[in-house]
Amino acid sequence: MSDLNEMNASPAAAQSGDRAPSGKRRALMQASAAAAALGALGFPSVHAKSNVTLRFLNNETSVDSNRALRVAAAEYERKFGTKVIIDSTPIDDTFPKIQASIKAGQPYDIATIGFIAHMIILANQGALIPVTEMTKKHQWGPQILFPIKGQVWWYPYDYNLAANYYRKDLYAEKSLKIPETWEQYLSNARALTVSKDGNVDRGGCIFPIASNGASNWTSFAFLWAEGVRVMDKNWNVIVDSAENSERIGRYLDMYAEMYKTMPPNMNSASYAQLLGLFATDKVAHSAYSGRLVETIEARAPTLADKFGVFPYMDSKGNAKAVNNGYDGFVVLKSKQSEDAMKFLRWFIDNHYINWLHTAPIHFQPPRLDVYEDKRWWAHPLIEKHAQTVKAMQSWITDKKMVINSIDSDGPTPDVRPAKVFESYVFPEMLQNKVLKGMSNAECVKAAGEKIRQVITA
Amino acid sequence: MKKNFAIVSFLLTGLLVVAVVIGIPLLHAMQLSLYKLESFISEPIWVGLDNYARILVDRDFWSAFGNGLVIACSSIALQVVLGIGIALILNQNFIGQSIARGVMILPYLLPTVVACLTIEWLLDGSYGLVKSLLASAGIPMFDWSASRLSATATIVLVSVWIWTPFVVTCVLAGMQSIPRQLYEAAKVDGAGSWHRFWHVTLPGLKPVLTVVVLLRGIWMFNKFDVVWLLTKGGPVNSTETLPVLAYRKAFQSFDVGGGAAVATISFVMLSVVILIYLKLFPLDEK
Repeated sequence: MSDLNEMNASPAAAQSGDRAPSGKRRALMQASAAAAALGALGFPSVHAKSNVTLRFLNNETSVDSNRALRVAAAEYERKFGTKVIIDSTPIDDTFPKIQASIKAGQPYDIATIGFIAHMIILANQGALIPVTEMTKKHQWGPQILFPIKGQVWWYPYDYNLAANYYRKDLYAEKSLKIPETWEQYLSNARALTVSKDGNVDRGGCIFPIASNGASNWTSFAFLWAEGVRVMDKNWNVIVDSAENSERIGRYLDMYAEMYKTMPPNMNSASYAQLLGLFATDKVAHSAYSGRLVETIEARAPTLADKFGVFPYMDSKGNAKAVNNGYDGFVVLKSKQSEDAMKFLRWFIDNHYINWLHTAPIHFQPPRLDVYEDKRWWAHPLIEKHAQTVKAMQSWITDKKMVINSIDSDGPTPDVRPAKVFESYVFPEMLQNKVLKGMSNAECVKAAGEKIRQVITA
Repeated sequence: MKKNFAIVSFLLTGLLVVAVVIGIPLLHAMQLSLYKLESFISEPIWVGLDNYARILVDRDFWSAFGNGLVIACSSIALQVVLGIGIALILNQNFIGQSIARGVMILPYLLPTVVACLTIEWLLDGSYGLVKSLLASAGIPMFDWSASRLSATATIVLVSVWIWTPFVVTCVLAGMQSIPRQLYEAAKVDGAGSWHRFWHVTLPGLKPVLTVVVLLRGIWMFNKFDVVWLLTKGGPVNSTETLPVLAYRKAFQSFDVGGGAAVATISFVMLSVVILIYLKLFPLDEK
């Protein structure tokens, strides 16, 4: 009994070492019971059913990511009694599902979001709870928080920066150097192209032109390095200004030459081809994020020590760029927003590193403190590819590195660049150049006209 | 009285189902087309007929309309010609006729996504079977997705592959209803096989073909899946059809009102074409 009483004694009493006199046993028991009751009141949800069920819409559909969320949800329920249901869906279905849930009056409580415009629309419609208080606790990389009206509306968990992956062994065979200019890149791509039976058997490089997200993500960072911007600080469309037309024209000419070194079917190529062709030795350069490293490790381990990565460059070798990509958690406005915020805080405090480890290279940490965290570095793949990971880290710490994307262009986070992204104006510019043989001036003019049309629709 | 009650109840049930699954969404789409809104949760801004005015002068809309017509007409023509030809063969008595009829229906049972992925893999420029076969003959592989002609032809090819069995089945059923005496009388009159086909079979199939062409026309004009899975409307929108354009606007380009307007105009156009068609080829023709 005395052991029990000692266990139930208040922390202050236990620390002071005070012992109750033996003649006051009843009073002690009463005090202990009261302390226990107060303790229970102070932590009402611990080991108790809270009758709260949170719904979490997850679009990271890999087995590891799903498992990590389910494990965290089970632990949270054990500790706090709040059930968290994980509903997984492909990324393209996330926004329709979120909209449907809001319209049905049963919004998801938490969701992962992979497209900045969706976060912006939800924030502008008052459907999100700001997470500024949480993001303030850490230092972040550039171009990732996307604050609106002074508040941060999502908790980013990764960058997916697109850069150029290349085959080191093929470079060594041909005594090639990492390119610093477009001319050098083109020369390397040509040198590594292998033709057979009239077909490109191993492409020198791959930059898709299909009207899809993969093209938008991987085929235009050369333009960012060259200084091209879609909108100016007053939201004027400047893609067809004299200066930008000239820059884009240079790129279109370079692209037309690169296109000759690419494998066939660039007009239907997507993420799968960017990964698959590199992993199957069908292309010497591919643009992607760290997912490519994970794919090589899983599908083509013989290539695991034969690749390197470098950012996009401008035509003259003066600037470097990577194409921005990102994902984050949002908390939706619901009857249970407070509980959802509690869960997200707990998840971030306890499972953020575990979550990042579910796609160890692809989920590039946007929080700078993670790069100092030994637990994060301890993942076998991160340890093994430390050189690549450090290169990726340098892209977000190097002040000179240009980080931009079609959907995040412009002075502030806004839906307008996202409309440009989704109308595939930029891939169409490449299609007009290489499939329809239009002049550079016509390609840029058509792009400018379409951008103005879609952003006003 | 009891019989009338049953008829009325079935009719009302049917009307209720149509109202719920077609009528209400249609009215909602029409309503959305009168607003400007970026998403389904955005605050709608009343713009009246502005979306229609904008869409009707949009080059993409007319291009999508034209693409839809080309894909629909060429697919239907091929499906009907092939369907009649195959049905004529399957209507003959030969060993394994039942098995041949069973096999013929298989493509129709294939999920569209499977058919499209199969074609994509066959035509893949890096690993495809067609590439290997052409290479063995010393012919370089063509990029099927790079030009309007080859991309459209691929869409038509897949549509014909999947939907011809439907035409075969309908035509085969129609052939069973043509009285044998007509063929025998034609033979007695000295008509050859071509004349028997032209003067007996085709007129006998007219009611079936009227329905088949009508249904295939509606389905092909509204075709979304094959186009989306194979080309997503590319290259440079040259295979984009109205359903794809409507989807793109409403669900991707943050132009829900514009997408709804495209869908509504498309619906009206199709309705007009159907009315004209039914006027020209009445279904209750004796």
